[in-house]
Amino acid sequence: MARKSWHLNRRTFLMGTGGVSLALPWMECMADAAPATAPATDSPRRLCAMYWGFGIGLPKEDSEHANWRWFPKGEGRDFEFTDSLRPLECFRDDLTVLGGLSHPNGRKMGGHDTGDTFLTGAFLNNQYLENTISVDQVAAASVSDQTRFSSLVLSTDGGVGEPTRSSTLSYNDKGRPMPAMHQPQQIFDRFFGAGDADSIAQRRRLKSASKMLDRVLENSRSLNRRLGKQDQEKFAEYLASVRQIEQRVERSQRWLEIPRPELRDEERDMLSLESDDKAPRLFMRTMYDLMYLAFRTDSTRVATYQITNMADASSNAGKFPQLEGFKSNLHGLAHGWNKPEGAVKLGQWDQFMAEQFSYFLRRLASAQEGNGSVLDHSLILYGSSNSTTHHNHNYPLILAGGSNLGLQHGRYLKLGSDVPMSNLFVTLLNCFGKETEAFADSTGELSELTHA
Amino acid sequence: MNYRILHLLFLLHAVIPASAALADSDSAVFKKDILPILQAKCVQCHGSENQESMVRLDTLSTDLMKNRAAAETWHEVLNALDSAEMPPEDEDQLTDEELASLTGWIRKTLDDYVKATSRRSGRVVHRRLNREEYQNTLLDLLGLDMDYARDLPPDSPSEDGFQNNGQALQMSAFQLEYALATARRALDRVIVSGPAPQQYDHEFTESNVRNWRGNVERSNRLQRSQVFLGTMVKDYPEAGEFRIRVTFSAELRPNKGYPILELSVGYRPDTEILFRNVDSVEIKSEAQQTLEFRGRLENHPLPVRGQGKYPGLVVRVRNAYDDGSQRPKAQKGKFPDEPNLPVINIHSVQFEAPFFEQWPPQLHRQIIGDPAEQQNDETSWANKALTQFLPRAFRRPVTEQEIERFVDFFQTVRPEFPTVEEAMRETLAMALISPDFLYLVEPAGDEKRPVTSSELASRLSYFLWSTMPDDQLAARAADDSLLNQTVLASEVERLLADERSQRFVDQFTRQWLNLDVVDRVAISKSYYPKFPEGLKQDMIGETQQFFAFLLQENDSALKLLQSDFTMMNEPLAKHYGYPDVWGRDFRPVKLNRDDHRGGLLGHASVLLSNSTGADSHAVRRAVWIRDRLLDDPPAPPPPDAPTLDEADPEFLTLSIREQLEVHRERAACASCHKDIDPWGIALENFDAVGLWRDEVRRQKGKRFDKLPVNAVDTLPDGQELNGVDGLRRYLLNNRKQQFARALVTRLLTYALGRKLELTDESAIDDLTNKFVKNDYRLGDLVTQIVTSESFQTK
Repeated sequence: MARKSWHLNRRTFLMGTGGVSLALPWMECMADAAPATAPATDSPRRLCAMYWGFGIGLPKEDSEHANWRWFPKGEGRDFEFTDSLRPLECFRDDLTVLGGLSHPNGRKMGGHDTGDTFLTGAFLNNQYLENTISVDQVAAASVSDQTRFSSLVLSTDGGVGEPTRSSTLSYNDKGRPMPAMHQPQQIFDRFFGAGDADSIAQRRRLKSASKMLDRVLENSRSLNRRLGKQDQEKFAEYLASVRQIEQRVERSQRWLEIPRPELRDEERDMLSLESDDKAPRLFMRTMYDLMYLAFRTDSTRVATYQITNMADASSNAGKFPQLEGFKSNLHGLAHGWNKPEGAVKLGQWDQFMAEQFSYFLRRLASAQEGNGSVLDHSLILYGSSNSTTHHNHNYPLILAGGSNLGLQHGRYLKLGSDVPMSNLFVTLLNCFGKETEAFADSTGELSELTHA
Repeated sequence: MNYRILHLLFLLHAVIPASAALADSDSAVFKKDILPILQAKCVQCHGSENQESMVRLDTLSTDLMKNRAAAETWHEVLNALDSAEMPPEDEDQLTDEELASLTGWIRKTLDDYVKATSRRSGRVVHRRLNREEYQNTLLDLLGLDMDYARDLPPDSPSEDGFQNNGQALQMSAFQLEYALATARRALDRVIVSGPAPQQYDHEFTESNVRNWRGNVERSNRLQRSQVFLGTMVKDYPEAGEFRIRVTFSAELRPNKGYPILELSVGYRPDTEILFRNVDSVEIKSEAQQTLEFRGRLENHPLPVRGQGKYPGLVVRVRNAYDDGSQRPKAQKGKFPDEPNLPVINIHSVQFEAPFFEQWPPQLHRQIIGDPAEQQNDETSWANKALTQFLPRAFRRPVTEQEIERFVDFFQTVRPEFPTVEEAMRETLAMALISPDFLYLVEPAGDEKRPVTSSELASRLSYFLWSTMPDDQLAARAADDSLLNQTVLASEVERLLADERSQRFVDQFTRQWLNLDVVDRVAISKSYYPKFPEGLKQDMIGETQQFFAFLLQENDSALKLLQSDFTMMNEPLAKHYGYPDVWGRDFRPVKLNRDDHRGGLLGHASVLLSNSTGADSHAVRRAVWIRDRLLDDPPAPPPPDAPTLDEADPEFLTLSIREQLEVHRERAACASCHKDIDPWGIALENFDAVGLWRDEVRRQKGKRFDKLPVNAVDTLPDGQELNGVDGLRRYLLNNRKQQFARALVTRLLTYALGRKLELTDESAIDDLTNKFVKNDYRLGDLVTQIVTSESFQTK
């Protein structure tokens, strides 16, 4: 990738401006030059999605705080970021801001209930809580045999949470939530750890695990026959899990011969694996780092990261803003969007989030690959399922990367509410290489994305 | 009720004809008599256009047998009509006749449904151990101190906040994969192979570190600014059990807390996690003594060998007592003596690792027996070990065939592994990922049956101890004596008296009262610059110890609403303004007459968890009371709930109560909020961290504006609630029964590990009546639940 004007020299920058500037968001634009890692042949195609709860700041366009309105001014190529998304200025040509989209089903759901369906488009209410497969898992299934791991599912709170307040974005083909990982050290060990240093011992254990799972499945089936109907329904989860790890063990056996990816020293050094949700900025960056490394090393091609959710007080991510010096928790902050001071505060939070996102894009852009960067081969969705809090339409969405996969960027597209968000997913899947005609309630493709 | 009567009941049930499904004639009645009423008076808000509180009545199914959720909704509708909550007062009201036929129809329909389904519904779902239970169970089963739950994903809570709900607890490939990894990690440590490793033994009589980071003085005489450090550069093992003996004396101070001896092991300077505590103990005597601590090295952050500039493995002793006063400055690396603070004088610290009295160690022998036996005949040795291990792991008698299956697996994998121990680890790991270990398995057909004695033992032990049955309980199950209700009651008493019952208190109060949120509220630094983060644990401690005290004393649960004492320790007493409470142990402290604190509504944990960290949060507190104490949670905000235009700066000068009044002027908000806000307004005299106030502070730049507290508001039925005292009086005079029923409901939900259903209503009523007649005694309620049919039925 050609060196762009925004690629400041890091050294000069630090020497020339001193500590104050360190707080400026656009420092994120500096991408460190990195050696090419993959041959110029067919680069892997990736897909990832990030999500946050409770929406964004949206003061009126003519109000005094209009500069903290999340959506840009103008439209099409002729748009201008407000302060909220200023940190993304340097990636202007690598992204598209999408306005007006939402899931039609989501519009019929409770204001705080739409996090679960961000990537699925399903309908949930208190009497019907069955979700459907998420777009990332459709993509993952199509390239599952190409990488050591089929997908990387992350969130701040970890696990699956409870229906309508889930702590994961990913749902499998049965519509069951997939547990998200939330401990950096555990994620690192799983993806990059040396495993058992002794590969003979490792092979023995894999072989034994395979036999063990066979027997466990056999015993469990005979137990299953002795259970009542309700218990059997619940126990199906266990039986399915055993079969899945059987596949996982088989996959590990195949991958045993292939050495774990080597990380560069500077990549190891910058990881803060002991970070946790008590220090949001560091934690978010560490999660982004881990996603970046998983992509860079082609350990997986699909990732999701639920940064915050809508479980409010019962969520660890709920207090992120306070830990970063804001006065309210996330829900409180979101509710303040139309109060005098509230619009500014929420806008500053939106900017903080954009800074971390910009950091992620910078990491992806800094890794050369084929005739571009990892960013150019990654489809990245960043968004929420509320515009302002409780409002399930006009999702704030940014689509970044994927320039080598057919996406046309550098625009703010305003779309009508007659376009279901699932149309976006259809286009993303096609760019990913998974030929798709329909997803959930889609009515077609979002062809604007691939046409200038 | 004894076991036989229970059996009889089942037989009786079976005789009742199960033909209560809605017949065609019933459905005609609905169309003719009921639907028109709904259409006239209800569907405007609960129909095709609007679905207030997510309820739509014109299409709500009347075939309850096919639609259980609809039954629950009809039940809610009935409650709303019975309590005159619906229709809202400003809407067209039902005539008496309409009300009678509507409620009459719903009641009959529900009764029919309950009768037809009672033998099938309301059943405990096959549930998996949650993280807490998994941790405790493995600890008891293997005896090894390890963080077993470390890699498992967090558990999903149920809708009503419980973390032991079988339906909500999920199983996934991820979960199971880490269960296998955890089992292997633990068994690698418990089951050793090869000759005994070299043992190290160090004794330190003074700190032996030359350079140390930070502003810390090394000394044998410990106050809050000194540490004692024993370091080993090379001569230490990487894994295994360690034993540390600390010999010391102390100097106590009048009118101060006790010194706290805190022992840590570790030192990973390349990360921020330097140490992990082994333990911390309050020292209440001045005499010289020796305390012994045990731990496992692999649980601690260990240094990377060969990093020359770091001092190796470090054993650190500190005196963690800090009275919160200003810390004096060091002069030339020495801190001045603080004559008011207690002292620990270290005489020596002895470190031994890996520590074992024999090889293989005791834990190894306990599980797989004497290594001498395995030499002769591996198969019969494995058979013997598994015959012992499997019934404990599965918490029930195990058949010969089952043991045979595990022995067979052992034989199959044995040739793959160089040592017999490795093959045995794999065999035991198989048990630990089996459903019989991971779940509370209760095989049963589609109809209810009484639980078996071992199922009962597990239910009891997971209810009161969050772990597997101990030897005595297992023995009572093995000979079926547990099915004798007298034996059962005495076991309940024994389990409650055991200190492990604190786990029940911890788990139940955390989940019922939502205490975890205390940790998730970030305290505003500008409002409370001196708030010590550690106080949050003491706040939770007050509530848990208060509940534990009532339980142990078999005292009245009404004291949860009002009481003349609370549980305090030194830090909490300081927070509440009570002098002369010293030390970390909680004890009952009589409250001052004019104090408004007694009972949950004055607990800092409850008040803080329902605040913003800067100020009270009246709505959140109100919802908490209605949900947790009265089991009547208000409906969640509807889709696209309108937001107030609060841009008017005047708005900010209003008190919370006035702001909420403005909010309630909007009809859309009022319908719900008029029965929410007053409950929280009554607590306005308590600030975010649970302290009494007469003025509300509101930050403006660097200053604080002050507004008077207004803690008076009126419930929709006209009842005035005047402050926390008025609220307490009202709860005790008018809502006692409702509170009792709510507590019974939540406790039964926890005990059964499932959501309660319509078919449980009569059991709840029954338990509530007994509870009320028995002066609300908490201990007896636990026994009543255990001896109830619901608890003893699968």
